[in-house]
This record gives sequence, C-alpha cells and structure tokens, in this order.
Amino acid sequence: MKKQILLIGILLILCLSGCSSRQNPAVLHIAMPFSDMVQDPDTNYYVNWLREQTGLSAEISLIRGTDGMDYLNELFSSDADIDIVLFGNGFSVSRKDLEPFMEKGLIDVSGEDPFYLNTGTSVPGNTGQILWINMEWLSKLQLSIPETTQDLKTVLTAFRDRDPNENGLADELPFAGTFEAYAFSPAEFILSSYVYNDPYHSRYGFGAEKENCLAATEEFRKGLSFCRELFDERLLILRGDKRELAELINSPVCLVGAFTAESISDMIYQGNPEILAKYIHVSPPAGPEGKQNAWYSFHEPEVGAVIVGRSTKKEEARLFLKTMLTKEASLIAGYGQQGTDWDFSDGTDVSIYGGPSGIVTRNYIWNTPQNKHLNGIGPMQIPEEYLTGVTWNGINSDAEYIDARAQMTCRKYLPESRDFHEPDPLLSSVIDEAVKDFVTGKREIGSDEEWNEYLQSLQECF
Amino acid sequence: MERISAKLTGVFLTVCLLFSGCGTSLPQSGQNSQPFPETAETWESPEELYRKALSEDILIVYTVTSRAALTKDAFEKEYPGLDVEIRDLRSPNLIEAVEENHKKGLRDCDVVLCTDSSGDFLDRLVKPGLVVPYLPPDIRVHMKEGTENGMVSFLNEAELLFYNPEKYKTCPVSNLWELTKEHYRGKIYMPNPLRSFSTYALCTAVFEQEKALTEAYQSCFGTPLSVPSGESAASMFWTMLSKNAIFTNSSDEVAEALNDGIADFGICVSSKLRFREIGYKMEPVQKLLPFCGCRTSYSVMLSSDALSPNAAKLFIRFLLGEADGKGEGIRPFCTPGTWSVRDDVDDGNTIPREDFDLIEPDQNYLIETKEEMERFWSDLLKQESGTQT
Repeated sequence: MKKQILLIGILLILCLSGCSSRQNPAVLHIAMPFSDMVQDPDTNYYVNWLREQTGLSAEISLIRGTDGMDYLNELFSSDADIDIVLFGNGFSVSRKDLEPFMEKGLIDVSGEDPFYLNTGTSVPGNTGQILWINMEWLSKLQLSIPETTQDLKTVLTAFRDRDPNENGLADELPFAGTFEAYAFSPAEFILSSYVYNDPYHSRYGFGAEKENCLAATEEFRKGLSFCRELFDERLLILRGDKRELAELINSPVCLVGAFTAESISDMIYQGNPEILAKYIHVSPPAGPEGKQNAWYSFHEPEVGAVIVGRSTKKEEARLFLKTMLTKEASLIAGYGQQGTDWDFSDGTDVSIYGGPSGIVTRNYIWNTPQNKHLNGIGPMQIPEEYLTGVTWNGINSDAEYIDARAQMTCRKYLPESRDFHEPDPLLSSVIDEAVKDFVTGKREIGSDEEWNEYLQSLQECF
Repeated sequence: MERISAKLTGVFLTVCLLFSGCGTSLPQSGQNSQPFPETAETWESPEELYRKALSEDILIVYTVTSRAALTKDAFEKEYPGLDVEIRDLRSPNLIEAVEENHKKGLRDCDVVLCTDSSGDFLDRLVKPGLVVPYLPPDIRVHMKEGTENGMVSFLNEAELLFYNPEKYKTCPVSNLWELTKEHYRGKIYMPNPLRSFSTYALCTAVFEQEKALTEAYQSCFGTPLSVPSGESAASMFWTMLSKNAIFTNSSDEVAEALNDGIADFGICVSSKLRFREIGYKMEPVQKLLPFCGCRTSYSVMLSSDALSPNAAKLFIRFLLGEADGKGEGIRPFCTPGTWSVRDDVDDGNTIPREDFDLIEPDQNYLIETKEEMERFWSDLLKQESGTQT
C-alpha cells in the first residue's frame, strides 16, 4: 500500500513538473529603444503574437536617452540580464561597429546571421530625392510647376518677394534644406540638373561613364555656381539639421516654399494632413543642357537585433528572432494586424506602384502612435512583392500613397543601368565638404585657383 | 433577522434609485438634444449660431475633397474660437466610417461632404437618416434647380475624358469606341471603379445607354454591333476598353499620368482641371459620340447626431458662400472643372457644364444594380490583373 502511494506520488510529481515547464515558458529579456510611436511594448499586438507563435515569454526593457554603441558598452560592462537587443527607429549600430564585440564573444555569432537584418519598408528601386513644392503658393501667385532650373529660380524669387503666406512679413523660406543627409540637400537636387549626381556612388557615372567622377567636371562646377547664386539671393535657405527643418515645414504659419526628401513623411508629420495637402511632388527640372536626372536611393539593411553572448537562452532567442524574420511576422511588423489594419487583396485592387496589389491597407499606422507593431524596431524582411503591391487605403493624407505617386513620376529619370562604380568613402567626404563650402561661399566657386585646389584634392583620392 | 432583511431591502432600493438616474445620462445614437428637421424651418442667423457654437466641442468634418482644408482655414479666421478638424477620406471609407460611428454611438462626425454619385451615399446614409440636409432659406433662394432633393449639392462636377495635349494638338478621337482600338493599349488611365464613386457612376450609367452605344459602334466601325447573349453593348465596351486601360487608385494618378506624358487619355473627375493652373498638361474632351463623361455632384449634409450642431450649421452656411454668395468658404470650390450650385456665384469656368456631352446617372438604377455591377467589375479586374504590367 505504501509502495503504491509512493508510486502514485512520483507519477504525480513527474506530471506536475511537465505542466510547470509548460506553464512557465523560458523568459527572454529583450531590450528595445523607447519610441513615441509604440504605445506599450508589453501589450503590443505584434509582441503578443510573437509570444504565442514561439511559446516564449518576453519581458521588454526600454532603452532611453542613449545611442546604440553607448548602450552596448554599458550593457557589456554590467551584469544586466538581457538576452536580445533590438535596434531600429534611429537607435542603430553598424555591422562594423559590432565586430569588436563579436571578436570578444560579447555578441553571439554561432547562428546563421548574427545581425538579424531589418530591410525596412523602403521599396527597392526608388529615387533617393524628390522635390516637394508648395502648391498653394503656386496657385496664389499664379505660377506653374517649374520645368527648368531657370523656372525654379523664378518661382523661388516669387516665393521670396510676393508674401504668399499673406502675413505681411518677408518670412518665407523659398527652398529650405540641410546638409545633414543627401535627400534633404537642395544642392544635391540642383546638381542633378547638370550631371548625373549620385552621392551614394561618389558622383561616378555608370555604364560607359563608370570611371568618370562627375564631380570633377565643368558641368558640376556650373551646378555649384547656380546653387551659390540661389544661396546669395536668399532663395536657398540652409538649416543645421533635419529636426529644425521639419519644425519649419510643419509650422502652421506656412513658411516653406519647397524642400527635398525621399519621403514626404521624412519632413511632414503624418498627423498634419493640412500641411501634407499643401505640397506636391515635382519632376527634376531640366538644367541648361536639358539634363534631368534622378538617383537611386540606397538603404543598406540595418542591424535588426543581436543576441547577447552571455545569454543562457540562445536557442530561445534565435527562435524568437527567426520568427520575426518570417513573412507572416514581417507583414505584421510592417502593416499591423491582419483583418483590421490590412488584408490580402482579392485581386481587384490596384497597387500604389501600378499593377495588381497584394495588400490592402485599411489603417495606415506607420509613424503614428499605435500599439500594433514596433514601428521598424527589430528585424523584418517584407517580401518585395508586398512592398510594391500595396493598395491605397483611401485616405488622402496617406504618406505612403503620396510618396508612391512621386516615385512613379520620377522613375523615368532614373538610369536604366545599375552598373555602378564602387563608392569611395574618402572621395565622397571630400566632395561633400566641397559642395557645402562652395554653395555657402566658404570657398569661392568663381575662383579658378580654389576650383583647381579642389580638383587636386580629388586627384589625391583617385 | 428581520432587521437585517429590512436593511438589505433598503440598500437594494437605494442602489436601484442610483442606477435609474444613470440610465438616461448618455444620448442614444440617432437622437440629439436639438431636432434636425429635413429642412431648416427654424432659421437661425449666423450670429446666433456662432454664439451657440462657441460653447460646443471641436467641429469634425468628414470630407472626400481636400479643398475642405482651405474652407476650414478661412472658417477659423472668420469665426475665432471655433476649431475644425478635417478627416480626409475616400467615399467608400467615409460612408463606412459614418455608419460605424452611428453603430457605436461615437458621435465623431458633425458634417459630411461626400460624392452622391454612386447610390451608396443615398442608400446607406441619407435614407436611414444618418445624415440630414441643412439649407437655410436665405441661401436656398440662390441655389440652382435640382441642387436640393433630399440631399444638398454643393459641387457640380463630371467624370470626364481627358487627352494629352503634348502628344495631340486636338483630341484624336471623335467616337468613344475608338478608345477600344489596339494602338491605345496601356495608354488609357482610369481609377478602379470599385474604389472611386465617381468612376463607378460613369461605368454604371453607361449601361443605361444601350441604344446610343450601339449606334456609336456602327458609326465607328461601319458594321452593326453583334451582342452575344447575356451581354450588352455596355459590357462589351467596358470589356474591350479594360484591355487598353491602366487602372489607378485615384483621379490624382490619372492627372499625373497625363502630365507626365505616359497616358494618352485619362478618365477622371473634372475638378482635376484646376491642376492646369499650376501647369499640368491635360485637356478635357467636350464633344464625343455618344458622350464624353457623366455628371457627378457632391453633397454637404449634417450628421444626425452631431455633437456640435450649431458649429456644423455655421460651417455649412460658410461652405455654401453665405446668403450673399460672397463668403470665403465657397472660394476653394470655384475652380475650373467645378461648377457652382448657386445662381449668383461665378465659378470661373469658361465652359458651362451644359456644353459637355455628359450623361446623367440615375441614382435608383445605381442602387438597384449595385451587386450586379460589383460582380461585373470584380470579374473584369481579376481577369485584367493577370495581364496588366
């Protein structure tokens, strides 16, 4: 009898231990950057979906007020119990930055890919810079969309002089930009009317002109000279950074006549439909020789996540991150909850990039405060057929739709060939510095001496 | 025991009294503290409305036209202290949103500006009383005939055929059937009729033009049109045209395709003519056998459970141009391709709408044939989606 009771007891304990491991799944500790666009990572729809799919428990700690490298340095000099670090939405590290940590075993390298890449939501084959012009001002001043660089100057002069925001002040910024990134620089845009000005490939030509650095040509000089002219006449206004520029563009006073960006949502807040409605995309204007060029945007996949080397739950961490890279997860990460925020098309819908669409969005939640996904934090790889196969959700202020239409207009100005020269970081840096200096007058574009010095500095890089 | 039972009874009765008070505190969907007659029998002056509106919440306007944002700016300047929120939506989405609001009792919409061309607006919002007309008598006297029929029109437009003037000095076609010819393959842009109410109105209205289409076919090709059983001249026309068409999400894309030079023809709302003011290259077709488009219009209506009814009425007055037609609210809609509903407001169009060969969609026909038309277009679009580039 006692033996029977003991046997039953042992069997019970075995059963309960099985149950308890099911009731207590492994707890992954995940660090992710704080984002205004993610309301509550703990109750986030996407995070809960990942928990269900993997059977894992995930506890999120938020990272605030620090950048990727500083955080990793702090993490590895502490004994904080973190298994996964997610990157994205401005909190980033490069693959090169991670090498020293990998060499020391601080980051797990035993998986297939230690970086768990985030390819984002950018559509491959898009142009890297679009001109957005204030349509309301054009209408008020009875002007047409500029088709040439001279038209552009005429329009910008009218913006400067004729008080289109009707407040009695000369506060209009005809063409505003910043050198912080190529997409936001008016100079890069104007230079494309003179040469094929691809800053991501060190301004080299392609195809037959692949070995020619077009930043060393007379046409490039003429383009810089035109930029300098606009700058001197206060038609081209430069600000320190993107944030400052965005504040000006989003001002309810309506201050900006034109700006450039890859996406209109880079500059205009999604919650500002009235400001969005004021701007219209414009084809690249033709330069004096009739050239109209656009260059491809270039987005390297970013590091989406790393597994911490000292984690005792590497298998679980890999499962979690691999799940994030599946098509199903990536669609949630990009578009939100299927059935509510988006659905698969029934074949009757049209993509915003032309042709049949695969996805119908119902609520556009990217870059808006929401709790359906992590707004670009963490790894994801949305298949290209879905990136280019989204239909319009019917909202006129949908930035994705506005961008797609701009991209469709500019497509014909992109080069057909993609036989690009390899970029040269040193050369690029010399050219970038020179563009800034010549446009702002720190160096004199009209001086043959200064121009030749510049050419000499390029020669030293070749 | 008796004392305890009595105490419990007392507590129970007290709780009942408290909850009975709570039951009537929330307004029911579809009801309002102010009644909305179908027309304004108790007319209030703008001054009275403004005074009352100042104590109301933000005015929320659901609109399909982005120009409402300009009216909003002008309204807020004219009436300091009143704030307007614009929700810019496509017609199908707007109708769903208003229905959803009412179903959930959200009261999240005060004014609706929507195309009334597809039948859906009438069928799903007007007939069930989710939206009601508001047209004060001092403005009604200036409205053109036909602009008030259970709905208040504030815009007259057309879904119209355009051509590319950079490629063609004059319109290269004089007969609608010419658009079905093979050399226009991939050159005709039009919005998806299942997503665009105005396009849907044209596509469906064509089905009521059997005789005119059949005669036009004969005129174009020199032979009688042979219509297989189960088909019609209209279904044949659209099936043939779809092979040449590139479907888009909106009229904006059509206008852009014409301007960019990739489209030879475009079918889109006439209001896109205003883009010509900023240099867009698109020319409307005025005369075509048997027609070049169809009439469309937009209504402005009050939500029957508006949370800010006085602000809503004031906004509608402002949008309609006020009593003398000089109000700033109507100005954004006085643009080429948009014809005024008032007899005292110059809409700036050099060509009256009557000079275009337009057909008139029958609202009841649109409602009655909705399922059939959606099936027709669904099948056609699925077929074409396998062949579009």
